[in-house]
Amino acid sequence: MSQLLPYLGVSLLLLVVSALWARQLFLTRKTRIELIVPQKREPTSGSTASHGDLGERIFDLVDWDFVSRNVPSEIQQMFLRERTILAISWLRRTRTRVSLLMRAHVAAVGQIADLHLATELKLALNYLVVLTLCNLLIAWIWARGPMRTRKMVGQTLRTVAWLRGAFEQLMARVSAET
Amino acid sequence: MSLGVKNVEIEPAIRDLRNRTLARLPGDVSRLVYLASSRDLNTGRYSHDGLAFHFSENVACKAMAACHAEIFNRLVYCSLEELIEELRSYISSTAERPGDVLESWKHLGSYRVTIPSECDEMAAEIFLSNVKVALAILQTRQESAFQDGQFAWRYRSHGR
Repeated sequence: MSQLLPYLGVSLLLLVVSALWARQLFLTRKTRIELIVPQKREPTSGSTASHGDLGERIFDLVDWDFVSRNVPSEIQQMFLRERTILAISWLRRTRTRVSLLMRAHVAAVGQIADLHLATELKLALNYLVVLTLCNLLIAWIWARGPMRTRKMVGQTLRTVAWLRGAFEQLMARVSAET
Repeated sequence: MSLGVKNVEIEPAIRDLRNRTLARLPGDVSRLVYLASSRDLNTGRYSHDGLAFHFSENVACKAMAACHAEIFNRLVYCSLEELIEELRSYISSTAERPGDVLESWKHLGSYRVTIPSECDEMAAEIFLSNVKVALAILQTRQESAFQDGQFAWRYRSHGR
């Protein structure tokens, strides 16, 4: 019986956390915080991606469409090699930036009086999703090249935008309370 | 052609630079090369006598840095096809033979000095990579045009 005690303890803890989360979701429904997701900017004429979205620029298919139709195969290979290097560099940078943001958030979170557990859990979950997506993408790009990963990149960009909005909102709350 | 720079002090200098100097150059690559070559590589400061005379040395330097960053950004976000066209336009505006310019840019990496001092590291990586590919494409086109020309010349010679 004593061997089961740790498992029971962990189960009880999970149950309490789930109950608290459900309660928080229910309570925050009325005063729900809309997370700020940066609005997509209109691309300027003649450009392939909107200014500021370097990730979109790297994974944009316009260049590949042009290269695959108009240039010899050795230059196509060169283009793919170059984009692979850029894509991996961008993903590593995104991963580092998100990790730095999360560290800053963890350091600042102690100053928030009315901590929203649901938001925190969602944030933590999305953080893990971004890290996993970045690592998966790096492996995938090494194996298949950057042009076949556009869908996953789109998901990563959306999650990063969500995280950025959530962090911005939380930071605004921290500075408002201090 | 919005800069996003709200500095009232440098806005007239930027307008002056755009209208009097940059508008006369054929394309963004030419403008980028011009602005980069107006910069002292040791200090990173830009110099433009006319602009400094009308405004001040500091304002002229800031205006040139702002225009440099703006043009660089446009080139980072333009498509590879547009970049090739820009490079082609720049190369044909020089008095040198296109093959020599391409060779020099490729081997010396002259385009590396055209990057503004204060720019995103990733943007610089994208620019360098795109220019590298664009130069390779232009060189291939140039070689095939040369071969076609030689073939046509031989064909005409044998025909006679």
